[in-house]
Amino acid sequence: MAQTARSHVFGTKGSRFDVLFPRTRSLSWALLISLVLIFVDDVMGDEVQNLADLIDRRIEARWKSDGVTPAPRAGDAEFLRRVSLHVAGSIPPVADARQFLRDESLDQRRRLVDQLLESPHYITNFSNLWTRVMMPESATDLQGQAQRPGFQAWLRQHLGNNTHYDTMVHELLTTPLAGDRSMNAALQNTGAVSPIAFFTTKQIKPENLAAATSRMFLGIRIECAQCHNHPYDSWKQEQFWGYAAFFAGIERTTRNEDAIGQVKEVFDRRELTIPDHETVVQATYLDGTQPQWRTRISSRKTLADWMTAKQNPYFAKAVVNRLWGHFFGVGIVDPIDDFGGTNKPSHPELLDELAADFAAHDFDLKYLIRGITASQTYQRTSRKTHDSQNEPQQFARMAVQGLTGEQLFDSIAVAVGHLESFQQQQPFQFNQNGARGEFLELFAPDNNSPTERQTSILQALALMNGQFTSAATNLDQSSTLTAVVEFPWMKTPDRINALYLAALTRKPRPDELERLTKYVDTGGPLTNQKQALADVFWALLNSSEFLFNH
Amino acid sequence: MTDRSRLSRRDLIKLSACGAFGSSMSRWLPALANEVSKSPDRRRSVILLWMTGGPPQTDTFDMKPGHENGGQFKPIDTSVPGIQICEHLPQVAKLMQYCAPIRSMSTKEGDHTRATYLLRTGNLPQGPIDYPTLGSLFSKELGQENSDLPNFVAVAPYTQFSPAAYGPGFLGPKFAPLVVGDANRVVVNTPGTNYDQSLAVKNLALPQGINVERADARLSLLGDLESDFSSQRPGLNSESHQSAYAAAVRMMRSEAVKAFNLDDEDAKLRDAYGRNQFGQACLLARRLVERGVPFVEVSLNGVGNNQTFAWDTHAQNFTSVKSLLGVLDPAWATLMTDLKDRGLLDSTMIVWMGEFGRTPKINPQMGRDHFPNAWSSVLCGGGIKGGQVVGKTSDDGMKVDDRPVSVQDLFATMCKGLGLDSMKQNVSNVGRPIRLADPTAKPITEIVG
Repeated sequence: MAQTARSHVFGTKGSRFDVLFPRTRSLSWALLISLVLIFVDDVMGDEVQNLADLIDRRIEARWKSDGVTPAPRAGDAEFLRRVSLHVAGSIPPVADARQFLRDESLDQRRRLVDQLLESPHYITNFSNLWTRVMMPESATDLQGQAQRPGFQAWLRQHLGNNTHYDTMVHELLTTPLAGDRSMNAALQNTGAVSPIAFFTTKQIKPENLAAATSRMFLGIRIECAQCHNHPYDSWKQEQFWGYAAFFAGIERTTRNEDAIGQVKEVFDRRELTIPDHETVVQATYLDGTQPQWRTRISSRKTLADWMTAKQNPYFAKAVVNRLWGHFFGVGIVDPIDDFGGTNKPSHPELLDELAADFAAHDFDLKYLIRGITASQTYQRTSRKTHDSQNEPQQFARMAVQGLTGEQLFDSIAVAVGHLESFQQQQPFQFNQNGARGEFLELFAPDNNSPTERQTSILQALALMNGQFTSAATNLDQSSTLTAVVEFPWMKTPDRINALYLAALTRKPRPDELERLTKYVDTGGPLTNQKQALADVFWALLNSSEFLFNH
Repeated sequence: MTDRSRLSRRDLIKLSACGAFGSSMSRWLPALANEVSKSPDRRRSVILLWMTGGPPQTDTFDMKPGHENGGQFKPIDTSVPGIQICEHLPQVAKLMQYCAPIRSMSTKEGDHTRATYLLRTGNLPQGPIDYPTLGSLFSKELGQENSDLPNFVAVAPYTQFSPAAYGPGFLGPKFAPLVVGDANRVVVNTPGTNYDQSLAVKNLALPQGINVERADARLSLLGDLESDFSSQRPGLNSESHQSAYAAAVRMMRSEAVKAFNLDDEDAKLRDAYGRNQFGQACLLARRLVERGVPFVEVSLNGVGNNQTFAWDTHAQNFTSVKSLLGVLDPAWATLMTDLKDRGLLDSTMIVWMGEFGRTPKINPQMGRDHFPNAWSSVLCGGGIKGGQVVGKTSDDGMKVDDRPVSVQDLFATMCKGLGLDSMKQNVSNVGRPIRLADPTAKPITEIVG
């Protein structure tokens, strides 16, 4: 966008110059161009930078009024590791890190994000994120597991094309459902590219679909009102069922209560009876308004139109807050999908402005990601430099965040130089090997916020003793370690440097380097320098610094 | 134990002297006076048998024979004259002298998520306070610091209804459970499934070629990295990481991990518990308690081939409940006799409950729905005067007629049975101190001594 704005101005510069600077002829061209560039950036705007500035303005205003001293800007290494994990889902390979750390151009951080967004890793990472959001059942529910590949393929296709968020959600909500939706049919066709698993994992029941869609896409936890009026929230039972009625047309033609079989859809059914009540409720939006019904348009489509409209008061806010939470570990509203009555945003104006800006940019997810990561707020160090930085929702220093199983596994894979076998480069393939699957299960994130991730004893045991880290720190099996250990002409400090760069994306501090050089040179318990380097690598891979994003 | 409670009392008095509790002083002074500590010096343990989804009281401990709500099952006599329970609990029936069914649970929360949180933490989810799950709460009081085995072990918990109801909340990761078995998988408690493997602790041994000396050297390198990181970036994540590693190393090096070798047990005894995950998990619970683990939680999440999820029998209630009881009865009864045989039943409290009961009225799918108004839980073993029933429901089972018991009453009863001072406070994440049980709670004094 910024580029088009700029070229537009350059294309017409002759005439504009004359208007704006009538006496330009006495000025040098170079000075003129730089003036114009400043003007363009200021007035026409680098839109990503504007978004970043908007964030910083609101966040900094609060620091001032609350007496918060923010942490300084993160160094390049810290930023590189953080943004690689957030955008691409793993730490950067050593070669990329070396290249980035050598780059001294002013826009290197912005360019890095652009590169990451165009890499297949972005697709993989965000399809994992959206799968967790839209199909949490895929971790536990058999049908969900079976249909996960087809669902992820659908997501990956859209993320690869950068389909805008409203379009994606609209397509999801209106996907055709009629036909055989049984478990058997699903199992026979597990790879079909389709978001249908979203519906089958919710048993295609109106109440489940209502609860899921309102929580995921609108940030409203209305499900408590399913059985009774919510005691703490303003949602009423009739509102819940009125919203659920948009899905009332979906009908199972087979009788069995628990299993899904043949499904058909009655397009103009727009009401349902509240179970165990006599009350019949009409499909009604959550803001209380009634739809303008159109003939031959399904109630699901009518709902999808309302939900993804720019004027929808919840839709943009909910997704902006979700992505904010992804990058900062804490939402502006937190928990991120609970915009309930008592759960107030920490920065209400910022949330409104972000949502409006995101909608104005047609729900372009990459634009939002570029803006957030370009902000100074995102680029603060995670080091604590002042006591006023303790409140996470001040965003005065970057929060230390837990990794998902995928991020952790893929980061270990990158650190040990094990790339190919994990399909990172091939986001349209789903060949998850057993080791990865097991790992993902053990490190499935708990539902705590990423800033409060708990390590279990079982996870600790797996990282210390498990096959995967054992191989990573085994001289016969680990590519990184073998390369570092066997490469001739390197001195011990160089080898330690290389291990640090591979695992932590930074060089050791002088005190660390001294301590570890001594350890390696004396060879550790086995008085064997190579094995001692393996010990160092083991410690790095088991450290908080490696296991968290910060 | 006595030292601990004395200390806590001193702390409380100190706090109130600072004025923090000035207004409530009058309320708990008499409580302190009443609490002439009869707490035995012996440490008590708890085994929680958690019935995920909510078991039907009318088909277990509060039968309604002769009423249409009673359903298909018949009541049978128990070892205690006058107490009848379901015919599909024949072995437990013979041990009724150790059990105190509470037939008047009254909790008012019928949503799985909220009710699970309520029953497992004693509180409804409210505002910013992260209440700990009862295993964390009680194991903190009953456990020893730096013990070889974790103070709280949870076997195959199904946490999806309410993950927060299974965590240590404001007590912090140090009090988190060691989870054994496949969490969040609907467990197929059918014979022939590989239940042993699911009860083992994975990755307990050092990797091949790494001896203890080398492991120590590695841990010492790790220690340096950790202290740097947490001094620069203090927070829950690294704190939890470090405490998990410390506990894992302690456990790896202890003799006590043999508790997980179920093969050491007599085959007949293993048969008696039931050759399924729940049965063997109950056996594991006994072995853990034997080695001093103060809180073990075992979940009964389902039985193979049932159409319903765990105890959530909205349809086909009787088929499902019958097969669930078929797994529950031998496991629970054998657990009690086994503990008794080893002299451990007096010091081990067994708690049987789910998040609510089920509707007395049978729905058109032959199912029973969620019912928090009047349902049953059972306390037995250590600290419990068994052989008596608490409370009474109406003939149709729809309401509590006598002695309603709230969640807090239940927690206070457990405290008393365990010799704990329910007025003991923990500081919550919002800075407000929270007692083990609410001061307004009324322990069921007739069943705790």
